[in-house]
Amino acid sequence: MIRFLAKRLGQAIVVILLVTVIVFLLLHSVPGGPARGILGPQASPQAIAAFNHEHGFDKSLVQQYWAFLSRLLRGDLGDSYTLNQSVGSLIAQRLPKTLVLTGMSTLLALVIAVPLGVWQGRRRRGLTDYAVTAVVFIGYATPVFFLALILVIVFTEKIPILPPQAPQTQSLAGLFADSRGLILPVLAGAIATVAAFSRYMRSAVLDNLAEDYVRTARAKGASERRVVWLHIMRNSLTPIIAMLGYYLPVLFSGALVIESVFNYPGMGLLFWNAAQTSDYPILLGTVLVIALATVIGSLLADIVQALVDPRVRGAIR
Amino acid sequence: MKRPSFPAAARTPLAVLGVAATLLAAGCSSGTQGSTATGGTPQKGGAVTFALPPNATPNWIFPLGTPGHLASYNSSIRQNVFLPLYAYNGSSGTVALDEKAGAAKPPVYSSDGKTVTITLKDLTWANGQKMTSRDVEFWFNLAKANKDQWGNYNKGDLPDNVAKFTTVNDTTFKLDLTQAYNPDWFTANQLTYVTPIPQAAWDVEAAGGKVGDYDRTTDGAKKVFKYLTGEAGKLAEYATNPLWKVANGPFTVKEFTTTGQVTLAKNPKYTGDDAAHLDTVTFKPFTSAQAELNVLRSGGVDYGYLPALALSQQKTLENSGYQVKPWNGWAITYIPYNFNNPDMGAVFKQLYIRQAVQTSIDQATISRVIWHDQAAPGYGPVPQQPVSKYLSADQKNNPYPYDVNKAKALITSHGWTITNNVASCTKPGTGADQCGAGIKAGTQLKFSLLTESGSTETDNTMQELQSSLSKIGIALSIKSEPLNSVLDHTPECKPSQSTCSWQLSFFGTQGSWYFPAYPSGEQIFSTDAGTNLGSYSDPAVDKLVKESTSSSSPAAMQEYSSYLAKNLPVIWMPNPAYQVSAIRNNLRGVVQDPLASMQPQRWYLAK
Repeated sequence: MIRFLAKRLGQAIVVILLVTVIVFLLLHSVPGGPARGILGPQASPQAIAAFNHEHGFDKSLVQQYWAFLSRLLRGDLGDSYTLNQSVGSLIAQRLPKTLVLTGMSTLLALVIAVPLGVWQGRRRRGLTDYAVTAVVFIGYATPVFFLALILVIVFTEKIPILPPQAPQTQSLAGLFADSRGLILPVLAGAIATVAAFSRYMRSAVLDNLAEDYVRTARAKGASERRVVWLHIMRNSLTPIIAMLGYYLPVLFSGALVIESVFNYPGMGLLFWNAAQTSDYPILLGTVLVIALATVIGSLLADIVQALVDPRVRGAIR
Repeated sequence: MKRPSFPAAARTPLAVLGVAATLLAAGCSSGTQGSTATGGTPQKGGAVTFALPPNATPNWIFPLGTPGHLASYNSSIRQNVFLPLYAYNGSSGTVALDEKAGAAKPPVYSSDGKTVTITLKDLTWANGQKMTSRDVEFWFNLAKANKDQWGNYNKGDLPDNVAKFTTVNDTTFKLDLTQAYNPDWFTANQLTYVTPIPQAAWDVEAAGGKVGDYDRTTDGAKKVFKYLTGEAGKLAEYATNPLWKVANGPFTVKEFTTTGQVTLAKNPKYTGDDAAHLDTVTFKPFTSAQAELNVLRSGGVDYGYLPALALSQQKTLENSGYQVKPWNGWAITYIPYNFNNPDMGAVFKQLYIRQAVQTSIDQATISRVIWHDQAAPGYGPVPQQPVSKYLSADQKNNPYPYDVNKAKALITSHGWTITNNVASCTKPGTGADQCGAGIKAGTQLKFSLLTESGSTETDNTMQELQSSLSKIGIALSIKSEPLNSVLDHTPECKPSQSTCSWQLSFFGTQGSWYFPAYPSGEQIFSTDAGTNLGSYSDPAVDKLVKESTSSSSPAAMQEYSSYLAKNLPVIWMPNPAYQVSAIRNNLRGVVQDPLASMQPQRWYLAK
């Protein structure tokens, strides 16, 4: 296990380094460079030259990358050109807020999707299965933007029981203190995810129902309840766990649409705005965080998988 | 320096980039500045919430902004805390000096235009000390020693053009200028940057250091500037840092969060005659125009805006207690011709071609249909609205009204033959009925246009342009790119350079040119102007621009307006409004300033 972990960690470092190289190269091949984006269309050539000099854009790519890397090794992600803050503090500010939002909606989605998938799998091809499938498909097919707007219109204007925006606070405590404001954004985020997870769960349950061990369990006199909720569900969770591992970067990268509709400045918007203004330090910083989340996510998925599935455990040495 | 205040709308694409992509940026044809009704019984105090443009996050308070911190919402907020010497705005119905909003009495220029004497008003800093000439000298010393880092600096302009600062007495000082300047230009475009700053509180070299006269040496001024800009970088401390508490304006900073929410509170120690009515004004940041609209519809902001796609909701908003009014900008919108393009440069140099192009553009219809009346036709280099003393009769009355037949005749009468909707030069030469200098036989009128992507209004306008030009024998090919990319691909260039392949470029809704109060063209239409992208060059224009900035003749601007309206250095296009505002009915005293600034001290709530 330790060897496995060390190997995976080594791989992770290489992957992250490669990601920084690729992102760095891509960013620097964007025409215009950051100066225009930051200083605006009216900036004079002198102002642009001064900006480029100040931020080292007049040096060679290798020198620039080296400067970036050596700062990174000291834990310094640089300073945003536009937001007057260090990228580290921006991420520290936004990431917890984003994690609350995406984490809660994923949790809500799981709580609904797993039992729903099992239940549907057992009643496959029944009228209720078709009805639920139809509803789930509609939820899946509705663009999040549209869904969020409908939620806002229905629950803040037609039946004004909820606020139209997420809590406008800087602290996490404040976020929960005004928890009514979280209901709509979390709901909007959960609906599409419910659809995806419940479909995976349903098909995994279907596969497992036909397995020998199910027949054996039944033959041994296990109650149907025990067969379904203990044996089948546990075995059907494998694809969901794998998916969740790869879902980690999504949690970290934020939900751009929901953040923008509900006035909730999180990671998604941070990245999007930085892309619009060519705020390179933020772009590099967030990509790094997401890359880190991706490798950690896949590692965690493998480990949890091993805990759930003894066959996988054997493969990890 | 003359860098125009560039509104957030114009700066940010979706969000910062701003308003433009999402908001109906448009100049309206009504000519009003959208001021709300006055009257009603003013209520004492109260709190008002103002919606900032999507993703506009105020990030600077120190009166000398470094590059990247010049967005107009920064200066709008700052000017209410630290008063500039002079402020120009639209409160008088046109863009003019607003005496009440500045820190000094009107400047007195010598008859030769080479010295200016200024007397400060009797104002007090929040720490109890009087505002004096020393506070202005402090500003000059910092600006001079650190001009390279001052975002508004342009070579030759402030502080370079002030040869000497002389203190006459505690409240009066004299500036010796390096040459004669037009007083209007100098006050509006230079002195508006000067802001008295509290020397007795800020003249320190490091945190906790003793106050001294450090600014009087270059080295000392650099250290002080470094310290102050360092403090200005700490957004989270704006509301608590004692430095920024020493205000002389009608408001002080009560809240300034790193996510961009700013609350100004009435300054109880303000001693001027423009005190605030309201207790607090909150500038609220939004992640998107949609988020703002959601909050606006549920009544969460008092002064907000409508995104472009939501104009149909005007009635709903009006029914729920808002007035919907366009906020027109002091700007012009245009498409530069690249006169140095190796293929089409010679064609663009022909005035008759430019006349034909301009005559074939139906600006009135574009404004009405594509912009839903939230843009206004523009015919020259001076903002068409509000009407000002700078606007010539020629520009006002449109020298080239829409007339496709006339446009076509201009082309065909100059030696071009139109086949399959494309004109070819069949009579080369420089005679009156020939194509013109540098145009070879067989040259076809095929133009390419690079335009900003992401705005429906811009896309539709470009298509309309393509269709009109095809009627007069000009084939226009359109290529859309993100704004930064358009800017990068359309640099000022020499014909031999590979970067000179662009012919026409349009920055769309985000690229309107916002002027400072005095709308002279030294930045855009002089031969050596910093943003003369198309390399337009005309000695007559250079002379007019010079006169408009350095002679004291008030007619200079009008002549400039008239000449360029007729000479067409660019294609004049409809100018979109800065934003379409929704203002709560009981919020009174609001003037939607064309310079994109605000005077919240005059806002009040009616009972």
